[in-house]
Amino acid sequence: MSSGATALRPKKTARELLEKIATNFWLRTIVKKVFIVWVVVTLTFFIIRALPGNPVEIMVMSLMDSGLSSEEAYTRAASLLRIDLNAPLSQQYSDYMSNLLKGDLGDSYVLAINKPVTTLIAQRLPWTLFSVGTSLLISFVIGMFLGTLAAYRRNSLLDHALTNFGAAIESIPNTLTAIVLVLLLGVTWKVVPLNFMRGSLSPGIKPGFTLPFVVDLFKHYAVPGTVYVFSTLGGWMLAMRSSTISTLGDDYVTVARARGLPDLRIITAYVGRNASLPLITSLAISLGFVVGGSILIEFIFVYQGIGLLLSQAIGKRDYPVMQGILLVTTITVIVSTALADLLYGWLDPRIRITGGGE
Amino acid sequence: MNQQLNEAPQGWVQHTAAPRTAVPNHAPTLSVKGLTISYQAKRGAVQAVRNVSFEVQRGEALALIGESGSGKTTMGLGMVRLLPSTATVSQGQLLYSRHNAGNGSVTGGAGEIDVLQLKGRDLRQFRWKECAMVFQAALNAFNPVLRISDQFGDTARAHGYLQGKDLAERARQLFELVRLDSERVWRAYPHELSGGMRQRVLIALGLLLEPQLLILDEPTTALDILTQRNIMDVLKELRQRLDFSLIFISHDLSLAAELADRVATMYAGKLVELSDVYTTFKNPVHPYTIGLINAVPTLTAHKDHVASIPGSPPDLIDLPEGCKFHPRCPLATERCREEEPELVPSTDDTHWVACWNWESARAQLNAGQKGASA
Amino acid sequence: MESSSVMRSTRENALLRTLKLLAHNKIGLLGLIVFLSMTLISFVGPLVIPPETQAHVDQIYQPPSAAHPLGTDFQGREMWKMVIHGGRDVLIVAFLAGIITTFVAVTIGAVSAFFGGWVDSLMMGITDIWLTIPRFLLLVVVATLVRLENVWMLALFLAFFGWPGLARQIRSQVLSLKKREYVEAAQLLDLGAAHIIFREMLPNMMSYIVIAMINAMTSAIYSQTGLVFLGVVPFGNNWGVMFSLAYAKNAIYNPNAAASLLVPMGAIILFQISLVMLSRSLEEIFNPRLRRGV
Repeated sequence: MSSGATALRPKKTARELLEKIATNFWLRTIVKKVFIVWVVVTLTFFIIRALPGNPVEIMVMSLMDSGLSSEEAYTRAASLLRIDLNAPLSQQYSDYMSNLLKGDLGDSYVLAINKPVTTLIAQRLPWTLFSVGTSLLISFVIGMFLGTLAAYRRNSLLDHALTNFGAAIESIPNTLTAIVLVLLLGVTWKVVPLNFMRGSLSPGIKPGFTLPFVVDLFKHYAVPGTVYVFSTLGGWMLAMRSSTISTLGDDYVTVARARGLPDLRIITAYVGRNASLPLITSLAISLGFVVGGSILIEFIFVYQGIGLLLSQAIGKRDYPVMQGILLVTTITVIVSTALADLLYGWLDPRIRITGGGE
Repeated sequence: MNQQLNEAPQGWVQHTAAPRTAVPNHAPTLSVKGLTISYQAKRGAVQAVRNVSFEVQRGEALALIGESGSGKTTMGLGMVRLLPSTATVSQGQLLYSRHNAGNGSVTGGAGEIDVLQLKGRDLRQFRWKECAMVFQAALNAFNPVLRISDQFGDTARAHGYLQGKDLAERARQLFELVRLDSERVWRAYPHELSGGMRQRVLIALGLLLEPQLLILDEPTTALDILTQRNIMDVLKELRQRLDFSLIFISHDLSLAAELADRVATMYAGKLVELSDVYTTFKNPVHPYTIGLINAVPTLTAHKDHVASIPGSPPDLIDLPEGCKFHPRCPLATERCREEEPELVPSTDDTHWVACWNWESARAQLNAGQKGASA
Repeated sequence: MESSSVMRSTRENALLRTLKLLAHNKIGLLGLIVFLSMTLISFVGPLVIPPETQAHVDQIYQPPSAAHPLGTDFQGREMWKMVIHGGRDVLIVAFLAGIITTFVAVTIGAVSAFFGGWVDSLMMGITDIWLTIPRFLLLVVVATLVRLENVWMLALFLAFFGWPGLARQIRSQVLSLKKREYVEAAQLLDLGAAHIIFREMLPNMMSYIVIAMINAMTSAIYSQTGLVFLGVVPFGNNWGVMFSLAYAKNAIYNPNAAASLLVPMGAIILFQISLVMLSRSLEEIFNPRLRRGV
């Protein structure tokens, strides 16, 4: 190879790389997702610094209230927030980003002093993922079933009852559902002992693959789980109903009947599978929505997840924790959308993409 | 494998055609008697099919022609009992008889059954095994998320037919018959096939269980002219090689002429003329059929003489009194406006017509056409 | 001049027609009646009935009775008066947020669909990102930083976080309208984007937009309730504040206090359900295929 050719090489590979990203489905997806994470990080960074009442000033104020001089307060705040307050914003931003890339989300400065945010979140995230994820699956399955039922019996009394009920419960704020359930189940009817509506585990029970743990886990999950299911069920039901109705009008369903296929086969493989396709993508997006709602539910049930952590952080204005939780939830949602994309590709051959190579 | 592929067609036809000639039976495959179907709509009842009777003989191809909205497709769906829930069959019989006392046939031997009385499992077994239907919008006839092989498998399983390798082999033979590359089609998803290919796959699937009756509802409508030609050739070839009756629903008279033995013309939910294909085209007697034929551009006629029928089809909810064609008919008389003619024999007992003035129609309207084309 | 009056009269006719159709739809009529009466009570009631500003220490947590129709709260205040005074802010925020959300969504959806190409890719890219972000959490975090002291601020905030889903829906509506003949004709006549969008397309989407606005109001109340409950929206007396305070005072464990918790919650739920009934019935009226599903 001549020296001229080698000089051109880096340029060529850069373009090749861009082309590869543009043409390869998975690379393109990854680049897009990383971009979204970057947007969220940047957005929260600048929002927190640009909006009135920024955390640094609030912290300096509170430190000054506790008797420090303004200079001391600034140094203290800077060390706690790991921000050089006199540095230009761009410098602060690049410092923050480089810390992030090292997996360092900073330390909590109020909730648990000097404890890394990552540790705090790692303790709490599994609880939220368990309760929200399980509920979402239960609600999705029940919603698909009821939606299919309503679609097959459309315009019947059952259909009207189901759809109106579904639309109504979807509009009732989950906070209210939670309070009503605590009131009814715990106080009025006394069906569920109140201590199962507080916390995520009974005291003395250690996490592990033991029967007492699993039983206790689900006892504490039952009521908050019901709230999650109740507040999302209507949406799945209505979506599945309208999707099923439109699928029932598709020609291949009529042809399947003409082919003399058994009803069960038509309901599952012909109608059900096609009707549920559009719902798969919403499943991932709704995860973000439900995790957002967990801040209220976990607050009411004192459930030890990141929602509760966030409401505690808000109460104490613990900004690194807030930033960290936003980042982690966004990543969770993005990972789950990627999983949903995979699932969708597996279920629908029309968009199945050959990844890598040819 | 490939060699087999090249030899197969001739051998296969003989092997399936043979057992069918065994039992002589003169009963028609399908006998439609006084079928009346209406839809419930907000404005009132849509009278889509009114008192229609005809027979389809064994091995015969009957074309059902008419404008859109004449009730042809409702007829077709009615014959496999796939009408939407808003439709009701208020009267009539659909008598179906199986010629060879086949194994597990719904007729329980060579007897006659009324398709309208079938329920549940019997109805399911009747569909496709006795009577298969190739639909108008066959582009979406296949479940988009299942491979063609799975959809053949579903159909076969539903009727206790061949499975696995035997099924694949049978399908391969059928694909050859409809001129498809089975290697490519068998494992494919529907979206990987072109419209014409999908239509041929559906025809092959229709023949899978060797039904006695195949209904084709506008099978070439959504396809381009070359693909349409191709499908028509496949169908003609199938008719020569296999033994089944055919009902061909179409608005396209030239296609009907190619394929059919007899032609039934439908107007406003009623049969208005029924005769063998030659008579329909050379010597039609109903003013509507005459109008339809004059509206077909031919190579010999000049463009200016291609006449369309004035007016538009009637509102099926609010039908006119008397003959439903009278508002568009050049020969309409007082009687036509008051009394509806029934389908009765005209020139001979194979040529039926529902018109009070068929004789003058033949004289006046056909003469005009002949003069034009001369 | 003349054409505008003609347009107005056809619009009035459309409104009248819709109301007539609603009157024939039992659920829709019920929804409309509940919606209108709650709105009326919330706006007119405070002018007629004096507010409960005084605590009545001897009347704390009275259950509903003849003397106290809806019971009293932790300060002995009459719940029925509190409820009448507590609706206005909730409704104003819902109306404003509904209007602003719809406006933003319609603008973004229509522009994106109408211009297509890179404009569409860019705008829908942003919408998708915004859709992926757990917006409620962000909303909560931002609400702790900004003092959401008045209804306008809160409505703007809710709209800022609520538009993306709706924008996508509007976009697909406009895309399908774009293929209609009269829009294609207007494009051929080169009537200009603004004319085509605002004069030709939007009037044809009015029913859809009204339904979308009602739905946006429902979500605004949903989010608002959560924000108030978390204590990040600290204003005045309203249904959300009432039930949050009652909850914070442990009214849930005191049978005599149940009314102070349930009455404001009931008001929110009733209003939400009336909106849902209204929007579903309008959908049924404007898009009968949805129901019949034929």
